[in-house]
Amino acid sequence: MNELRYILINVVETLLRVLPLPSATGLRVIGNPDEHSPVLLTGNYHLTVERVRRALRGLDCYLLIANSRGINVWCAAAGGHLTNHDVISALKTSGIEQRVAHRRVILPQLAATGVEASVVQRKTGWKVVWGPVYADDIPAFINHGFEKTPAMRQVSFPWTQRLEMAAAWAFPISIISALAAQAVWPDGSIPLALMVWGLALVIFLAFPLYSRWLRPEGKRVGFVFFDFGRGGLQLILWGAFLLGIVGYANWKGTLSWDFVLRWGFASLVVVLVLSLDLMGSTPVYKSGLHEDRLLEVILDENKCRGAGFCEQVCPRNCFDVDHRRHLATRPRGHLCVQCGACIVQCPFDALTFQTPTGETIAPETIRKFKLNLLGQRLKGARSV
Amino acid sequence: MSTYVLMKILESAPDRYDRGIRWLTLGRLDRAYDRLTSYIQKGHRVLDLGCGTGALTLRAAERGARVKGIDVNAHMLEKAEQRARRAGFAENIEFSEMGVAELGNEPSESYDVVMSGLCFSELTGDELTYALDEVKRILRPGGLLLVADEVKPESAVKKILTRLIRCPLAVITYLLTQTTTRAIDQLPEQLRKRGFSILSIRRSLLEDFIEIVAQKP
Repeated sequence: MNELRYILINVVETLLRVLPLPSATGLRVIGNPDEHSPVLLTGNYHLTVERVRRALRGLDCYLLIANSRGINVWCAAAGGHLTNHDVISALKTSGIEQRVAHRRVILPQLAATGVEASVVQRKTGWKVVWGPVYADDIPAFINHGFEKTPAMRQVSFPWTQRLEMAAAWAFPISIISALAAQAVWPDGSIPLALMVWGLALVIFLAFPLYSRWLRPEGKRVGFVFFDFGRGGLQLILWGAFLLGIVGYANWKGTLSWDFVLRWGFASLVVVLVLSLDLMGSTPVYKSGLHEDRLLEVILDENKCRGAGFCEQVCPRNCFDVDHRRHLATRPRGHLCVQCGACIVQCPFDALTFQTPTGETIAPETIRKFKLNLLGQRLKGARSV
Repeated sequence: MSTYVLMKILESAPDRYDRGIRWLTLGRLDRAYDRLTSYIQKGHRVLDLGCGTGALTLRAAERGARVKGIDVNAHMLEKAEQRARRAGFAENIEFSEMGVAELGNEPSESYDVVMSGLCFSELTGDELTYALDEVKRILRPGGLLLVADEVKPESAVKKILTRLIRCPLAVITYLLTQTTTRAIDQLPEQLRKRGFSILSIRRSLLEDFIEIVAQKP
């Protein structure tokens, strides 16, 4: 019964993935914890809470659900919907302080882009430990004395997640296009909806085949589709799809200009909509819609003391720490997705963003201006 | 006054917030704030919860009180600080970026008045419980709690009516900001339960907005 409920929740909420969906906030008791049991915290996106609770089965611990406005941890933290205030609030108002003797809370690593661990510690006395990216790794993380392997720190985009994203986009788009078609082309509704699903699945499942040609530093929005590096492959896909249906119609003997134009136009719109923010739909690229994708992380070796917070919070494993020289290095800097977590968490302000025109965005600005579509972070940098 | 949900849109741009809220509430919120702050006297020590751009904070300072305004939104606080400086009250007002969850750091019985304008409706259940307990602790005996906020109407008919009005507005706000406010349930009850005596209650026509003056015994 529980199994069925879990599957159902996953299916329904994956289809509605693009909408926020809140779960109740506050303290959840997992198993039979005592005053020494670990305390974990996550956001209140409903699907997240379900998955975290499932990952914690068999453990004895406390789970705090902070108010991330029904949005998943990474997006909420990046967009200013999950901040140190929400974490402090969960710690102080949930009653957890009366339940445990220690003051150590495990936060999801992806919250590091928006939650300043040092502020939480200064204001509450709770020490923040950055847990793994994915909830499934939590038991192993706890059993290994709160140590993360490099794999636990890294986001990935396996076929299961690609399938989820395909469904998340296909569902609303197929419904909207089917409804729109009802008005002008009633017979086209169902084939149109099916086409949306087909194209979404192909675009997302085939991601590893063409991802090497995607370039985050590509053109601005609006020219996205005309840049071969970013939209080109989808256009090839569109051409192939068109050839396919023309061949099919020819074989059926129903080929006409009307048919070709109709389906050609409909499929082009669908391909363009689906690839509108293809990179932003993956955890391995920065959204093509954010100007922040053009920023570069700069490490000031004079300020760095090799504390290694950057290594702990980077979701792309860009950093290594040279413990002998007490210095961080960025041997895999090209993988950076500009989330800013390393800059936000560095206690020595040794990391900054640099704009393509050479301006420096100070850590204070990154902490203050969360990422959003209005480009406030860059504006903030310029007004300082 | 279901339009309060639209406030969330304005919040994303503090610069437009004040003009927007006046327009949205047709000046009603201003009048509510005037009525509430008329209880404040010269020399009072006042705390403004969720002060935003300082609408209540500045009113209290105008009446000669020493005010502390707290909010979790750094951008709104900046705006409030600007306004306080311009009005010449920078000396009497202290702003602090903190949420109600940090009220535990305020000394007991240290305030004559605690004010909250449209703040309680943004809190989670746990936060509201905690905030009300802490407000009671930090108010001196006889001190006042002044609240203006969105509440759930008590009559069933008005409950349905407000829900109908609020729903489309909430959807628009949700699409734009992915957030919403939660009307508070049984606020007068929650205050009475904590031993506050209610000196004055004023409800809007649809009972979805409330002004309360409550006193700590």
